[in-house]
Amino acid sequence: MIIDVNTSLGHYPFRALRHRTAPELVALLDRHAIDRAVVSSLHAVFYRDAHRGNEELHAATRASGGRLVPVATINPRYVGWERDLAEAVETWGMKAVQLVPGHHGYALNDAYGRSALARVAELGVPVVLRQRFEDRRQRHAWDQAEDLTAATFLEAAQAVPSARFLLLNWLGLDGARLAAAGLKGRVLLDLARLQVVYRKDALRLLETLGGEALAFGTHAPFDYVAPSLVKLANLSRLRPADYEAVAWRNAARFLALA
Amino acid sequence: MNLDRRSFLRTTAAGLGAARLAGRARAATAPAPSPGDDPGLPRDWRAQRKFDVHNHVFLSGRRDDADWADVDHLIEAAEFLGIERLFCSRPITAGVLANIDAVRAANDSVLAAMRRHPGRIFGYCFVQPGNGPAALDEIDRCLEAGMVGIKLYNQFKYTDPVVFPVAEKCIQRGIPFLGHSAYLTDPKTLALQPKTSHALDFCALSRRYPELLLILGHVNGGGDWEWAIKGLRECRNVYLDTSGSVLEDDTIERCVRLLGHERVLFATDATMEGCVGKMLAAEITPAQREAIFWRNFQGILDRRRA
Repeated sequence: MIIDVNTSLGHYPFRALRHRTAPELVALLDRHAIDRAVVSSLHAVFYRDAHRGNEELHAATRASGGRLVPVATINPRYVGWERDLAEAVETWGMKAVQLVPGHHGYALNDAYGRSALARVAELGVPVVLRQRFEDRRQRHAWDQAEDLTAATFLEAAQAVPSARFLLLNWLGLDGARLAAAGLKGRVLLDLARLQVVYRKDALRLLETLGGEALAFGTHAPFDYVAPSLVKLANLSRLRPADYEAVAWRNAARFLALA
Repeated sequence: MNLDRRSFLRTTAAGLGAARLAGRARAATAPAPSPGDDPGLPRDWRAQRKFDVHNHVFLSGRRDDADWADVDHLIEAAEFLGIERLFCSRPITAGVLANIDAVRAANDSVLAAMRRHPGRIFGYCFVQPGNGPAALDEIDRCLEAGMVGIKLYNQFKYTDPVVFPVAEKCIQRGIPFLGHSAYLTDPKTLALQPKTSHALDFCALSRRYPELLLILGHVNGGGDWEWAIKGLRECRNVYLDTSGSVLEDDTIERCVRLLGHERVLFATDATMEGCVGKMLAAEITPAQREAIFWRNFQGILDRRRA
């Protein structure tokens, strides 16, 4: 069993993506022996009204028979966002809520960010934070979003102690710092940019945050799927006791997947 | 929530109607994978022969008793990934115009790594073209000690005439010239690396020296990789390597479609698992994959002169 916690559907404005519809993504999962994928809408990142992207995602994933687990994307600067959030989580049963402050024009630590974190935490679902979608060195002239930083994340997470975080595409987080900030058990990081062998940052996070802190994630369809499968294969040799937890069990627990 | 594997599968199977998912869930009742049976990957993926044509050794000194942790981790990772040979350099970065003593010290550390892991680590000689004749002498010294090519960083654009004697030396010795590259679109990064060469700079050097074995380094090393691949269509004699921390889908296929697989060389530049994974996922033929993994570079090595 493998659950991919880091996938997206839809067009990205700055690069042509393959596998961007629900059937294409399911076919990609099939080709790589991945059972389920946690998916968010790229359109929700770029539409003025993010919730229109959530509506599309809800419709697109309903036919997947549970293979695709939708995540809402909320813009706390937009009118009616709390109503949209409630609809996504309470009515549609979305399992997490993504915030993209760099794309939606606010900061995780300003009034918009703090109120969104607090409201999502009240609903009892994790907040999804991507450090970035793409490497900034190749950015399009209209792509102005900066990477989220560890310092910003730590400040925000400490300000809302009931919030839990699914951290995607992160690199450079110090597990000891996260633990010291009270985040052990409150964070789940994906493998997309971590290394199991050579740099071994995935192993250090397991040591400092425990076996419940990592999950399989690919950043498909932006990235190839097999890099994270290679990491998972190496983990199965180096830390066999953690294999199932990283492959699917942590994701299932953290996101309360049925 | 504390789910065991079997109860998780039972509860999910109850709620899941899709036939495809049912098929996957049955497969998931198998035990955790054993070595050689890695989900989603070809059965023989570790055994497929691989030469990593762009990597680095970083150790704290040039002596044989230096701190070897990084190099030993590199070798351990290569063992895991089935990478038979690693072609490594130690460039002096951050725009530093290092003098010849610093360059020699960097190359000595590569030679020390080659001695520690013979037959596994092979060396590129880093040169700073601004050192003039001393840079050319350093190439000879490195080759006589067993290195196989040269590595340039971003101290000078490769269209700068100061680079030409280095290119001529490579032609004379029949060795590859691996060059740092990026088409940087982020103003902040570009300001820090104003002399980084991009695909069209490589093409200009190749047009001046068509017989030069020129390799555009790390197509996925940061910068617009789509621009790099399209740019290399303008010159037929430049190879490119697949390395870099960016793991974006379709990179390998675009390289093969637009340039031909004969010009593509497998490499990691320290993103070892990711770059092996890119190659395994790419929708190319087994023969193309084998050529990129090692045969193309073997062909380049075979062209060296004594």
